[in-house]
Amino acid sequence: MAVITPRKKKRSLTPYLLIAPAVLFLAAFFAWPMVQGLILAVYDDEAVLPLVAEASIEADRTGELPQGAAVAILGQQGNTIDGELTSDLLTEQWFRVTGTDPDGADVDGWAPETRIRVRDEASDGTPIGGTVRPVLGENADPLTPIRSEPTERADVIAQLEQRAPVEIAEVTVLEVWFNVSAVDEDGQAIEGWAPSRFIRAFENGEEGRVDRGTDGQFTSRFVEKMLDDRFFGPAWRTTLLLMVLIIPIQFVLAIVMALVIHARPKGTSGFLYVFSLPMGMSDLAVGILFFSIFTSNGLLNSILDLFGLIGDNPPTYLGADTRGWIIAAIVLAELWRATSIVMVIVVSGLQAIPDETLEAAELFGASYWQRVRYIMLPLLKPSLQVALILRTILAFQVFAVVIALGGGEIVTVLANETYRQYFELRDNNVASAYAVFILLLSLASSVFYLRAMRSQNEVAES
Amino acid sequence: MSDATRIQERKQRPTTGRIATYLGAFTIAFWILFPIWFMFSMAFTTREEVRSFPKSVFPFTPFSTDTMEFFLGVDGVMSGLINSIIVAVITVVLSTVISAPAGYAISRYIFPGRDLFRLGVLAVRAFPVVVLSIPLAVLFIRANLFDNILSVALMHTILTLPTTILVISSVFASVPYELEEAGQVFGASPWQSFRHIVLPLVVPGIAAASVLTFVLSWNEVFAASVLTLENRTLPALLLNQLSQSGPAYQFAGGFFLMIPSLIFMFVIRKYLFNMWGQVSK
Repeated sequence: MAVITPRKKKRSLTPYLLIAPAVLFLAAFFAWPMVQGLILAVYDDEAVLPLVAEASIEADRTGELPQGAAVAILGQQGNTIDGELTSDLLTEQWFRVTGTDPDGADVDGWAPETRIRVRDEASDGTPIGGTVRPVLGENADPLTPIRSEPTERADVIAQLEQRAPVEIAEVTVLEVWFNVSAVDEDGQAIEGWAPSRFIRAFENGEEGRVDRGTDGQFTSRFVEKMLDDRFFGPAWRTTLLLMVLIIPIQFVLAIVMALVIHARPKGTSGFLYVFSLPMGMSDLAVGILFFSIFTSNGLLNSILDLFGLIGDNPPTYLGADTRGWIIAAIVLAELWRATSIVMVIVVSGLQAIPDETLEAAELFGASYWQRVRYIMLPLLKPSLQVALILRTILAFQVFAVVIALGGGEIVTVLANETYRQYFELRDNNVASAYAVFILLLSLASSVFYLRAMRSQNEVAES
Repeated sequence: MSDATRIQERKQRPTTGRIATYLGAFTIAFWILFPIWFMFSMAFTTREEVRSFPKSVFPFTPFSTDTMEFFLGVDGVMSGLINSIIVAVITVVLSTVISAPAGYAISRYIFPGRDLFRLGVLAVRAFPVVVLSIPLAVLFIRANLFDNILSVALMHTILTLPTTILVISSVFASVPYELEEAGQVFGASPWQSFRHIVLPLVVPGIAAASVLTFVLSWNEVFAASVLTLENRTLPALLLNQLSQSGPAYQFAGGFFLMIPSLIFMFVIRKYLFNMWGQVSK
């Protein structure tokens, strides 16, 4: 049908301008996300937590700890919040207090909530007055240092006695930083500070572990997690099993359908419409369709009942103990749904075979079967190859039919596990690892088919 | 053509081959139509009939719009339906607007990079949806577009774009360039000859491509489920409620999803082979 058209040969920018929107769209919503997806599967952007010498983001690094490392908590300190203030953040309040020191001089500076007891609040809950907390312990300094800035590192500008009354002029919220010591991956003991949001402290307050890091690192953790997943084995085995069961039957059926159309019965266009109907159908709808057939009070049991083949209790096909039946139902549903597309490709291929060729064969006495076997099938090879690659790639993605017929637990496939990791377990990284696995399988099978077909041709030619 | 007809006539003798052809044709038609018929009869009957066992298989179940009305009245179904339609319409518009110039370019011009572009488009087409959905969802969350039907439409545009580009390029290729040239010989500007000669000839083909795009978007369930939470499209809604719903809801929903493909496959049946014949090459 492709009419050979002379094309404009002159060099110009026009074609580039015409394809530009498509190229940009594909780059933004296909190429870029794909790169991100590959990265998600092998890169952990919370892998490493750096420790710094002081409770400040500008301080020098003293070392780094992997996610999950056990730490001993030596102390804590407030620091300006770097990043979002979330409700679960461990925080510390600092008050700007004014009062009088033991010598009678006016004092105006900052002290943490551990040193000031709030005794007076404004109507909206803002603390406005309080007293200096008494100092506990025998050796402790009875005076409370007041600093120039709301941080322990700031200069001490004055000191207040315990129980001295103060007015609170300002309140600021700081994030708690932990001073931790731990053994890093190289077995060296390190010590340093890190914001408390990255460290989960245990109840005794002296130990904890690194909850998540801030620096990324390439890791095989997600791939390993996928391989260890209890659904991984069943998922890829079932996906391959379905492929092996479906594709051969599908191709035989599609070729039969195409030959029927090619023989041009009366009303060919009507038959063609009916044969290609499932092609446009939603896989979910087809899943539900076969569910309505195989469910225990569905079509199949109704027909069996009509002939008196079942007793009072209609058998269950889509239950937890009937894995075989569920697989059979999925195979039938996929045969019903996806054979049409193969048929359309095969019919296109058949139409490209010149009538003269078949006529000549007929004149030389070739039977119909011989014409199919020795003329049509060899000439259909390129079409079948395309259909095979297309069907295989689609077979790795089978999803809605499996959910509709098996619920996704008893019988599971790779696409369903990707969905489960993403949706139920909220693990984007492992979901991406599954996605990359599907991609690699698709690529590998395409290359395999192309190789196999080529080497076959070479054998035939030599 | 006359040779071909002669062969056809000769073939039409009532031989065993002929009988086998009709037997095959009707058997396959039955295999495809009977489940659809059953689904239809379940979607348009009373709810008691859907729950009953054994169901009356032949010839008719009592006809009623009860089940379908019940399905459409369920909370969320109407908004899901509206979402589905909006997504499909945005997808059709975006996909057609982006593909039409690209399709025209690869059917009319030879330019360095043309084969690379074609190859790239084919590669995208062969790509698994599942693989693209997860990273795209992560990016949409970062861009604050998550659970927004616009994100679903963008995803569907990516899925349908390659097919649309290839179909539209084959539609343009079927209009000989001589026609366009003839227009220019008679004094029309390139734009005028495109507007008045080429466009009227390609509109039906592009319309068929749009219909195909609509159906692809309407049917798509994986990406829609991954990218939405509250603003579900109809298939995504149905998928997530499947296990907690009764047979009336399931069957009516299933049949409802089939309706566009039943209608649109009829509309575009003539173009089916042009499309897939071209796309599969």
